[in-house]
Amino acid sequence: MTSEQPIIHIENVEKIYTMGGERLYALRDVSLNIFPNEYVAIMGPSGSGKSTLMNILGCLDTPSSGRYLFNGLDVKSMSDAELAEIRNKEIGFVFQTFNLLARASSVRNVELPLVYAGTKRSKRHELAEKAMRSVGLSDRMEHKPNELSGGQRQRVAIARALVTNPSIILADEPTGNLDSKTGNDIMNLFDNLWKAGNTIILVTHEEIIARFARRIIRIRDGGIESDMPNEVEDSAHSDAA
Amino acid sequence: MKFSEITESARFTLESLNSNKLRSLLTTLGVVIGIVFVILMGWLLEGLDTALEKSINVIGTDMIYIDKWNWSGGANWREYMSRKDINYKQAAEFCRTAITPEIAMPTVQKWGATVQYKNQTISGISVQGVPAEYAFTAAGTVTDGRFFSRAEDGFNAKVVVIGYNVANTLFPKGDAIGKEIKIRGRKFEIIGIVEKRGTFILDFIDNQVYIPLHTFFGIFGTSGRSLSIAIKAGSETNMENVRLEAIGLMRQIRNNKPGQPEDFSLNESQMFRDEVSALRMSTWGVGIGLVSLSFFVGIIGITNIMFVSVTERTKEIGIRKALGAKRSSILLQFLMEAAALCFVGALIAFAFCSAVIALAVKIFFSDSDYLTSYVPPQLLVTASIVSIIVGVLAGLIPAIRAARMKPVDALRYE
Repeated sequence: MTSEQPIIHIENVEKIYTMGGERLYALRDVSLNIFPNEYVAIMGPSGSGKSTLMNILGCLDTPSSGRYLFNGLDVKSMSDAELAEIRNKEIGFVFQTFNLLARASSVRNVELPLVYAGTKRSKRHELAEKAMRSVGLSDRMEHKPNELSGGQRQRVAIARALVTNPSIILADEPTGNLDSKTGNDIMNLFDNLWKAGNTIILVTHEEIIARFARRIIRIRDGGIESDMPNEVEDSAHSDAA
Repeated sequence: MKFSEITESARFTLESLNSNKLRSLLTTLGVVIGIVFVILMGWLLEGLDTALEKSINVIGTDMIYIDKWNWSGGANWREYMSRKDINYKQAAEFCRTAITPEIAMPTVQKWGATVQYKNQTISGISVQGVPAEYAFTAAGTVTDGRFFSRAEDGFNAKVVVIGYNVANTLFPKGDAIGKEIKIRGRKFEIIGIVEKRGTFILDFIDNQVYIPLHTFFGIFGTSGRSLSIAIKAGSETNMENVRLEAIGLMRQIRNNKPGQPEDFSLNESQMFRDEVSALRMSTWGVGIGLVSLSFFVGIIGITNIMFVSVTERTKEIGIRKALGAKRSSILLQFLMEAAALCFVGALIAFAFCSAVIALAVKIFFSDSDYLTSYVPPQLLVTASIVSIIVGVLAGLIPAIRAARMKPVDALRYE
């Protein structure tokens, strides 16, 4: 696995906020590689810098210093429009609060990334339908988010993340707003996606959720505390089953 | 810019307006007023132009009138007053001698006469004494009956051709022909009615009656009045020849010395253009003022509500950016929304103006044939385009703000 080119390669990345003339390090000297078909959890308490790291990995934000290569391309030198294109084509986001557009039906929410990719209407609908089927919601296509349960909303969001067939799926506390049963269902869905060949990065502060991943990176005070394979993965999965 | 983004923006725009109906309606009020002024101004100007063309056609574009007066020279009336009258002998000599015109004839008028039918009288009528050839000019076109003949002019027949308003007032049933009216106590038989030609520019023209020239002299006498010479050039291309000959010949007849200015004026229908263009300018001036003022207010209102809309939808902007929307996509979305808001305003203004115009024409201008009773279609196009431009202007700053938001900040917004 390590002989391949990493999807994500960050080197000595720092993120500094200036507040009231004081420099605050949200991230300091972070380096890591993520390879295709990895299932990585980024763990840490709130304020640890894991959200900042996720924003940088997701090209929603840019590092203050350091190097970030996405599929070998230097993100730091990219224009706003190029970053938008990376987010559109290479990254599928799943958020804690689902972040669906309230006014649009499920299928239109799923189609949205394809709209920005310039995909034709008929093709868009076909791909969205396929993604909805893969999360088990082919009978909820025309429902609006407020007509769906929390678990169903998160499934729509996952379908939206999958629809462009991205290089990585970036999930930020995906079970944070769900009860534990529904959360478990969603985590099983991620597991299936990983088994189907997707690369998944999971950001969470919950140990039990992190245990679904095959590699756990622990963040504390803006730096990587540990980065190791998940030795308890099997027991976690037997729990879930 | 991708086509899919444009259709998507259009769809979201409609949904957004639909979900904020009342707010959209109130916001667009300033633009509605602006568009209303645009339409009403355009409608009035078009009416003015139509009126002008009609007036010019009444007189005839190939007609020249030689008068003591200049039609458009109100300020110099003292000079015109001091000119010697054009008498019958001079007019007749001109008409006999001139070779370039198709027709040249002396005419004479008496202002402020009274016409009586049974026990009804109308005052303020102008009595025109004209030869039979007047029938061949635009002003002498008869709709009902006939014009008098040369023979009738020759033996001072008491026959009269009456103007549209005179016929309408005295004979509302339309049975004027053959009836007898009294002019200056003399009985005249009505033999014809001249078609309606006046607008507000030449409203008096329908209050005229025409009697044979020699009958006129018999009743009103020849002294103390200045004649007009009505000249029909025959074609507009012949106008310049006629002008040159008319000036030369008339100077000779009136004994104007070389270097001395003429003591007569050549009047043409084109002179009404000056009168109307002054009216046009003032309509424009008032209109443009009102339009700019209301658009100014309208733009502020729309800009304001677009700022609210952008703030309300910060999270949505973040989501869209996370999913790959570029700055241009967000910009387009909000510009479209502002433009659509204004376009809705334009639609409301069309509806309002259509009602107002139809009503105004029905109540106040029912006999006007120059103001249309509907909004002229080309004004709909103009107003639509203007509304969209106003919308884009109003939405520009909020849309730029939306487009420039950093995705990470927008997503964090609650």
